[in-house]
Amino acid sequence: MIGRIGLAGIFLVAAYAKLKPQAPGPWSAGSVKTSLSMFAMQVDSFQLLSSSSADLVAHTLPFFELFLGLWILSGIALRLSSVVSTLLLGGFFATLIRTYLMGLEINCGCFGPGERLGPKRLALESLMVVLSLAVTAGAFIVARRKSVPAESATSAVGLEQAR
Amino acid sequence: MELRRAAKGWRAAGIVIIAAILVAIPALATKQTAKHTPPVTKTAAVPDEYIVKAIGSKSAPVTMEVFSDYQCPSCGSLYEQTLKPLIADYVASGKVYLVHRDFPLPLHKYGYEAARWVNAAALVGKYPEVEAALYDNQAAWSVDGNIQKYVAAAMSPVDFKRVDKMMEVCPPPAAGVSPASYSQTGKPAAHGCPFDASIEKDKALGNTVPVSATPTFRFYYKGKTYGPMSGVVSWPIMKQFLDQVISQ
Repeated sequence: MIGRIGLAGIFLVAAYAKLKPQAPGPWSAGSVKTSLSMFAMQVDSFQLLSSSSADLVAHTLPFFELFLGLWILSGIALRLSSVVSTLLLGGFFATLIRTYLMGLEINCGCFGPGERLGPKRLALESLMVVLSLAVTAGAFIVARRKSVPAESATSAVGLEQAR
Repeated sequence: MELRRAAKGWRAAGIVIIAAILVAIPALATKQTAKHTPPVTKTAAVPDEYIVKAIGSKSAPVTMEVFSDYQCPSCGSLYEQTLKPLIADYVASGKVYLVHRDFPLPLHKYGYEAARWVNAAALVGKYPEVEAALYDNQAAWSVDGNIQKYVAAAMSPVDFKRVDKMMEVCPPPAAGVSPASYSQTGKPAAHGCPFDASIEKDKALGNTVPVSATPTFRFYYKGKTYGPMSGVVSWPIMKQFLDQVISQ
């Protein structure tokens, strides 16, 4: 439960940091658009995607993170949501490692602007992957435990009927 | 029955937690904003009491400030891929005022020397030409240190004579580091290179950003600061950002 909340919190904070006004000021549709276009610059600086793909990722990722955060928090189909989360965080981690090994001295952009991509950032990102893996494993274990008594009960009923 | 009760309890707990996170995240992020967002700086507040290396109109709605090292390959890429079209389009049309700040890195042998030449060129009004020449030929002079050759090619012989004369008093600095002619007290030595004060001021400003890699850039618009950001960004993506900011 705690892991789930923590994992959901990571995605919600990440989405919020990307969508919030990047300069002091009130929230508005314009401020969100500006924040997304600024995030697009950060995605582009990774030099991994074409300009159009970087733009697409920048304009969809924060909303997907928001959705994923709420999905994990709700606990609905937790096995699936936690697997999606692990894949997403694993993908981020791989991208950061690649960028770091390439020697690109850029901002991570993971939780808003101004975050340098360095060993600290990589360590934090790896912890997030571990947390997501733990939540995924937990979700599968809990689901299995729930299904075992149910199966036992079904077998018992079947035996009774047979008698 | 117990299971139902437990489920109800979980649901209630879930609702409370979601509500708490929804309330806590904005508060947390506001704190982060206060911590990470640079102080609001108006366009007019960009210091220019020293040798100005800027292109465009000061009254342009957006000011872009770029901290770079002439020998840094990423700075060269940013200039060639992004700043050139920016200068040709948004600077020429008066939308952006592009300010260069020197931030020579110690690992680049000729970065400081190149910055001196550009500052000298700025005094004869040839900053844009010399900057372009140095980035266009970065690969060549980064090897042999013959910056002079490209500075000379970027201006008339008369202008180059003036620039060369000014540079005569500048001893070659040790690889990339602040030269000895510039004292640690923040004042140039009596007979030091006249351009070092400007370079050091830029570096000091960069350290307040803080600049930890080059290129690092930020934007000013209507008293708001966007950035800093580091690395190479392609022109279509930066153009989109500028259009969005200007349309606000």
